[in-house]
Amino acid sequence: MNSVELGETIAVQAASTYSRDRCVTGIHGLDEILRGGIPYGSTVLASGTCGSGKTTLGMEFLVRGALAGEACAHFTATEPSVKLLENIRQYAFFDMNMVDTGLINVFDMDVLYSWLGLDKSTFDLDDVHALIKSITDIVNTIGVTRLVIDSVTTLCYKIKSEQLIRDFLFTLGKKLATLGCTTILISEITSATENAHWSSFGVEEAIADGIVVMGDVERMGHLLRFLQVVKMRGTSHSRAKHAIELTPLGVMLTPMLKWGAQSDKTTKWGA
Amino acid sequence: MFELDQRIAEQLSTISLNSSVQVRCGNSNAFMVTASTMLPLMQMFEMGGVYISASRGAVEIIQAFESIGVDVSNIQFIDLVSSGILGGTDVTYPNIHFVDSPIMLESVLLRTLYILRTTTTQRNFVFLDSVNALAIYNEDRMLAEYLHTFINTFRQREVLSVILNVPDQTPPLVLSNLDLYCTDLVDRGQVVIH
Amino acid sequence: MRKNITFDKEDEDFFGQVGSFGVPKFDNEMHGGVPRGFTMVAFTETGSGAELFAKQFISPAEESENTLYISTNEAQPEIVRVFKKYNWPLDINVRTIGEEYNANVLERELLASRYRLEGFRLEDIQRLAQTRFVEDSTQDYLTEVTNEIMALGPYFRAGIDSLDFFLQRDDPGRVVAMIRMLQAHTQMYRGLLLIMVSVNGLSASIRQELSSIADMVLTFGVRTIGSDFETSMIVSKFRNAPENLKMLVFRVTPEEGITPETVERIA
Repeated sequence: MNSVELGETIAVQAASTYSRDRCVTGIHGLDEILRGGIPYGSTVLASGTCGSGKTTLGMEFLVRGALAGEACAHFTATEPSVKLLENIRQYAFFDMNMVDTGLINVFDMDVLYSWLGLDKSTFDLDDVHALIKSITDIVNTIGVTRLVIDSVTTLCYKIKSEQLIRDFLFTLGKKLATLGCTTILISEITSATENAHWSSFGVEEAIADGIVVMGDVERMGHLLRFLQVVKMRGTSHSRAKHAIELTPLGVMLTPMLKWGAQSDKTTKWGA
Repeated sequence: MFELDQRIAEQLSTISLNSSVQVRCGNSNAFMVTASTMLPLMQMFEMGGVYISASRGAVEIIQAFESIGVDVSNIQFIDLVSSGILGGTDVTYPNIHFVDSPIMLESVLLRTLYILRTTTTQRNFVFLDSVNALAIYNEDRMLAEYLHTFINTFRQREVLSVILNVPDQTPPLVLSNLDLYCTDLVDRGQVVIH
Repeated sequence: MRKNITFDKEDEDFFGQVGSFGVPKFDNEMHGGVPRGFTMVAFTETGSGAELFAKQFISPAEESENTLYISTNEAQPEIVRVFKKYNWPLDINVRTIGEEYNANVLERELLASRYRLEGFRLEDIQRLAQTRFVEDSTQDYLTEVTNEIMALGPYFRAGIDSLDFFLQRDDPGRVVAMIRMLQAHTQMYRGLLLIMVSVNGLSASIRQELSSIADMVLTFGVRTIGSDFETSMIVSKFRNAPENLKMLVFRVTPEEGITPETVERIA
C-alpha cells in the first residue's frame, strides 16, 4: 500500500467515524435512540402534555449525571421544590443525599424571581437579561454540566413579546453551550398528536438544538405514554415513537408497536 | 391426583436460554400444561422469572399452584386482567404487578424488563399466558408485531420466553407468525386421554 | 348586636369623662380636654408642628401598656430623643412602621439590585439552593395596625402619625373602612385615638369621609408673616360641643412643647 492510498483511507475513515462528544443521559433506551447521548452543550426542548413524564425524565437526566459525579441544577417553576423532591423520592434512582451534598442543586424560580426583584407579572428586556445572567452565573460558579428548567413555558408566560422569548432562549442557550452545559428545557403543550406544535409559543422549537416530544397515544380508552425524538442537531437518531414506562428504576423505553402508534379515532388528548 | 406431563420437562432440558418456546395446549389441559412447563423451570433448572397472566387473574393462578403444593412466591406475576375488575387489584400477594389492560402491550414488555432488572436470579424465563387471551383485545397485525418484538427482546437478553397458546382460538396470522418466530414447540394442543 | 362592655368603677373614677390632650392650655380651651371615646383626625401641613402634637397627645399615657404610638416616618431613636427632651414617659408601646418597611422592602430591593448588577456569589447560590419559599413581602401593615389598636383595652390612648403611609399603599376605600372600625372600637372602649393625615395630595372625598367619621377635626397650618412662621391649629369639628370650635395660634417652647398663645372663636 503506498502513502497516497493510506492518506485516502484515513480521510475516508475520519469523515465516517467522526462523532461529537456526548452527554450520556443514562436513561434506559434514550441513549440508544440518540446513538450515544445528547451532543454536549445542546439545548433540548422536552415538550409534553400533562402527565407525560417530562419532570421525571428531567430529574432522571440530572440524577444519572450526579451519579457520574457531574454538578447538576434544576430550576422549578411549575411546582415548589419541596413537592418536587417529595414526588421524586419514590423513585429508587433518586437519593436525597445528592441534593444534600450539592451534586443536584434545586432552585425555586419563585425564590429566584424574588431575589432579583422580579415580582411583577411581566418581564421586560432588563429583567430577561437579569434572569439569563443569574442562571449562567449559577452554571458557571458551580460548574453545572447538566441543567433542567421546568418549565420554560411557565417562565416565558411572563415574557410578553415573541421576539423577547426568542432572544431569551437563544442567548441563554448560547451562553450555556459556551459553558459546556447540556440543558433540557421542559415545555408544556396541550397536544402531542398530529398537527401539534412542539412548543407553547412556537419559537422555542426553532431555537432548540433538539426536540423530544412526550405525550399519550389513546388505545381503546387507555393512554400509553410515548416519547419521540423529533430533532437532535449533531447526531443521527431514531425518529420513531417509543413507549415509555415510569418505573421505580427510572424511565424505560421500547419502540412503540407500528400498528398501535396512532391514537385510535381522531382523539387528540388535551387538545 | 394431579399428574404432570413429564415429557415436557424432558423436552425443556434440551433448550437454551435464548430459546423461545411455543407451548400449545387445549381448553381443558391448560393448567396441566402450564404446571408441567413451569415446574421443571423453577425446580429442575432453578430459574426465576415473570409470569404474564392475560387469561386469568394472577391470584387465581397462584392459588392453583398452591393447591398442587407448588410455591411460586419467587415468581413475579404481571396481571393484565384484574385491573378491569373493580376491586380486582386489592390483593395481598406482594409478587403481583398490575397493568391496566391487555391492550397495553408495550407496558407489559417494559414492566417485564423492569422486573428482570430487579431480579436476583441468574437464569430467568418469561411465561406468557396466553396468546389467545391477548388476541381477544388486540388486532391481529399488532399482536403479530408484538410477539415478534417480545420474542426477539428476550432472546437478545438470554431470557427464555415461553408462550402459551390455544391454537384453535388464535387468529391464523398470529399463529403462523408464532410458528415462525419460536425456536421450539411443545405441542399439547390435543387433549391426551390416558 | 352591640357588644356590651362593662367598665370598672375604679377606672371610671380614675380616667373620668375627659382625657388630656397633653397640652394643658389646649385642655383649658377645650373645656377640660377630650371626651373619652373620641376619634380625632388632624389634617396637617408640613412644618406645622403636627408631629410634635401627636407625640404630646400620647405623653399623658395614663396606662403605659394601654398606650400605643404608631409612627410611619420616624425611627425609634428619634422618637425616644423627643420624649426624653420633654421628659415624657418612655415606657409606652411604639411601633415604627416606616423603619419596618425600610428593613423589609427597601433592603430587599437593594439586594436585588446587587444581584442583578454584580451577579451571584458562591455563598448566594448555596443559600438560594436551600431557600424553598419566598419570604412574604406583601405585609399588610394596615390590617396589622388596625388589629393592634383593636386589641387595646378600655381607656386606651393611641396615635397614628400618619395615615399617608397607608393611603399611598392601600386602596383609600379600604383605609377609610379600617378607620370606621377603629372609630367604633374607640367609642366602645372609651379610648382616645388621634390620626394624623397630611392635606397635601389628599383627595377631597377622602378628606370629607375622614371628617365625617371623626368626632373631632383639627387642621394644623403654617404661614409666613414677614420673616416669621406662624403655626396654628383650627378645631373645625367637635361633636356635641360647637363652643369648642376655635383657631389657636401656637408656638413650640422647650419646656412645654406645643403652647397655644392666641385664641379666636370661629363659631
